[in-house]
Amino acid sequence: MTAASLLPLLVLAMIVVAGVQIGRRALLWRSGSFADVDWVAGVKALPKRYLVDVHHVVDRDKSASRMHVPVAAGLVGSAGLLVLGLVPGIAGSRIYWAVVALAFAVMAAGVVLVARRRYPRAMPRLSLGRYQRTPVYLGLFAGGGLLCALLASFGDPLPFFSFLGLILAAAGGLALAAQAATGPMRHALAGAAHLALHPRPERFDERLPKGRATGLKPIDLDAAKLGREEPADFAWNRLLSFDACIQCGRCEAACPAFAAGQPLSPKHLIADLAAASGGGHASAYAGNPYPNERSVAREGGLHHAVIGTGGMVHPDTIWSCTTCRACVEECPMMIEHVDSIVDLRRYQTLEHGAVPGKGADILDNSRLTDEPNGHDVATRTDFAAGLDLKRLDDGARTDVLLWMGQAAFDMRGQRTLRALIKLLKEAKVDFAVLGEERDCGDLARRLGDEATFQRLARANIGALSKVGFQRILTADPHALHTLRNEYPAFGGDYEVVHHTAFLNDLVASGRLSPARLTGAAITYHDPCYLGRYNGEFDAPRALLDALGLERREMARSKRKSMCCGGGGGAPIADIPGDNRIPDLRMEQVRQTGAATVAVACPQCTAMLEGVTGDRAEVRDVAELLLDAVEAGRGEKAKTEARAREVETA
Amino acid sequence: MKTTVLLSAARHPVSGREALARLEAQAIALATRLGGDIRGLHAGPESDALREALGVGLSKIDRIDAPNGSDPMEDLASHLRAAGPDLILAGRRGQGGLDSGLLPYRLAERLGLTLVADAIAIEAGSEAGTVRIDQALKKGDRRRVTVRLPVIVTVHPLAPPPAAFAYGAARRGMISTHPVNDPIRQEGQGSEWEERPYRNRPKLMRTASASSGDAAEKLFVDPDPKEAARLILDYLERNGIRQF
Ligand code: SF4
Ligand code: SF4
Repeated sequence: MTAASLLPLLVLAMIVVAGVQIGRRALLWRSGSFADVDWVAGVKALPKRYLVDVHHVVDRDKSASRMHVPVAAGLVGSAGLLVLGLVPGIAGSRIYWAVVALAFAVMAAGVVLVARRRYPRAMPRLSLGRYQRTPVYLGLFAGGGLLCALLASFGDPLPFFSFLGLILAAAGGLALAAQAATGPMRHALAGAAHLALHPRPERFDERLPKGRATGLKPIDLDAAKLGREEPADFAWNRLLSFDACIQCGRCEAACPAFAAGQPLSPKHLIADLAAASGGGHASAYAGNPYPNERSVAREGGLHHAVIGTGGMVHPDTIWSCTTCRACVEECPMMIEHVDSIVDLRRYQTLEHGAVPGKGADILDNSRLTDEPNGHDVATRTDFAAGLDLKRLDDGARTDVLLWMGQAAFDMRGQRTLRALIKLLKEAKVDFAVLGEERDCGDLARRLGDEATFQRLARANIGALSKVGFQRILTADPHALHTLRNEYPAFGGDYEVVHHTAFLNDLVASGRLSPARLTGAAITYHDPCYLGRYNGEFDAPRALLDALGLERREMARSKRKSMCCGGGGGAPIADIPGDNRIPDLRMEQVRQTGAATVAVACPQCTAMLEGVTGDRAEVRDVAELLLDAVEAGRGEKAKTEARAREVETA
Repeated sequence: MKTTVLLSAARHPVSGREALARLEAQAIALATRLGGDIRGLHAGPESDALREALGVGLSKIDRIDAPNGSDPMEDLASHLRAAGPDLILAGRRGQGGLDSGLLPYRLAERLGLTLVADAIAIEAGSEAGTVRIDQALKKGDRRRVTVRLPVIVTVHPLAPPPAAFAYGAARRGMISTHPVNDPIRQEGQGSEWEERPYRNRPKLMRTASASSGDAAEKLFVDPDPKEAARLILDYLERNGIRQF
């Protein structure tokens, strides 16, 4: 008997060991709550989701895709080939062993690349501990297998070395299999299952607009428990999704709260959620700690509250999140961090009223006055006194319904809105506002108050159904996202446009003629809720380019843009860190050397303008366009005057 | 300890919607700290304010089904007489509707109970059957009194902030409805109140009075002008306003 002939048995042993391990995890997943999953469609879509969607994300970090392809292909290939070797006759062929050796060689090459990311020193976002040891096991398996198979392809001239190879491969392979449920290799099976049974299958469908896959899902307000308290409350495929995490740390590197030293790391949170469900046999976390970590008991269990000083995660962690989705965008395992964070918040808010900072006031106001800051919604148009803003009475019609949002109550936001209104008048757009516009409910929803959100959504949909309009225009990406993507669940289907896209169309179609502005360079800050949430990156840029200013991009822009810190109620929860997120973002603006940062969201405006010291000027795209249009009008008047002079002369 | 928190028919100052008065929410928070059996009591038609009260810490509310606009005093008094709580909490002033702010006083009179106004903290007393109450007085003064139960206590805005509203708790809380005892009163009475447009009142100047402690030395009636000047200069110097 040759050593090589034992390799297929080793693979079988690995499969059995891994199967038992992962089976134990699967039992845990089954303890999760109900989820409506289309298994057939999911499994059918798996190859495409893996090869296209996952690869797309993995490939953004070249060092990751270069290592992952050979390791995964080599591992799956060699194991598959070896199982094939159980068919009598095949294992006798030298060519077969040469092919097996090739698969092992591919894998070994990949392992070298894996090791390069970790030795001599691991990239800071990676986890250590078991994760640091994995390349060793992979290397033993690949190297030992290669030696053994290669010798077999030469007719096994050196049996001692063949056996040595077998032993090394067995040590590495069984070590990998043994930690299939708790270690890094868990991501392989859990990840594949997660892709097939993903809680948001719509995110893999390119035909759907991006926003369709980013809106929060409503919860049943009559359910016995509102929100998620313990691991067993999460849908089973969410528990599965936590297990898919490979702790690559890309989410952490992108997370603005982590960068600002607030006690949040999306990677750590997902690892904690995975560990929490397992209770007893959770492996120790070996990544970066939460910045300024708050101490908690770190006790878990399927029926143990996750959040709280007696649980796994401190409440400050979930309240630090700005819901910017940078983590979701970066995650190669397609994990939806924001959904889980909001679900955890929902439980805290709805069942315990445990909202930090000014949250309780904001929610009281939203509940009792329909406006987060307690303003009388009937005074929302007061800022536009003198602008002759048309208000729609019930039954009246207009082409464009202008949704003003919270900006109408904020002096800075009002400047932007006034600029927008002037531009709309200039372009002779038929537009009007609602007689009584309640808050869209975005803030209440992200603060976990689903009850208030649903009430506001229904009230607004009721008000909108009484008037006629073609589309809704808004300068607030949060309102845009909520109206466009979250109201359909309550029966409100609207065409909602952002003012940057709308104004861009007006300029492109010649209804607005801006002059070319002169001056220093400009940079554009993508609002999370317009960019990552709705995939709108181009219209604001095209509009800025039409103004003739030099436009510079920040290192983090478009999909990778960094949040201003204003979303998700984070400024209201106001969890202290080392830095403020807008300060970090303003520093990135400074690095471009631009004198002006163009924004397209009242929240971004407020956050970035709140940065003290010498900084770039913060102007909304609408304000810049108004400058250009007014300059253009000046020029037109001059040319006309000149023409008249010529005539009279 | 049995505590009853009186709930009025307050309205939100901005939206005019039925809402729990903040002082009553604070009263609920004080009662929760004290512990024991806590119930809310309201006389009047159903109101969203009661759900609000359930959301900030009450789990049980008794509602006397009195008609809108009627004087709730008799209904409350007879209910309280039957229920016999040790501690009755109310806000210190009316916050909407036909509230006059006098209800706790009228109740105290009717039930023959002691009333302690403007509480900011309530603890169990060292002796059984007593409570220790911190009262907020003018200019940040505090007074601690120990009273024997039962007692009516009104709550001051400087009491600890109320608990945050929790929808789940509001949903779980129980409101039990009780019919009005007196059949004649079920009809409701016309309001004796008269509506008049709001008029700004002149601001009251602070006045010194001879009786109030150290103010006495500063009150001089009809002094000789020279003497008055000397007193003023003295005063300014003593307080470091004028220096030589
Ligand atoms: S959650 Fe996703 S991005 Fe974050 S560490 Fe895990 S796999 Fe990586
Ligand atoms: S949504 Fe943004 S702030 Fe929240 S965890 Fe993800 S990256 Fe961090």
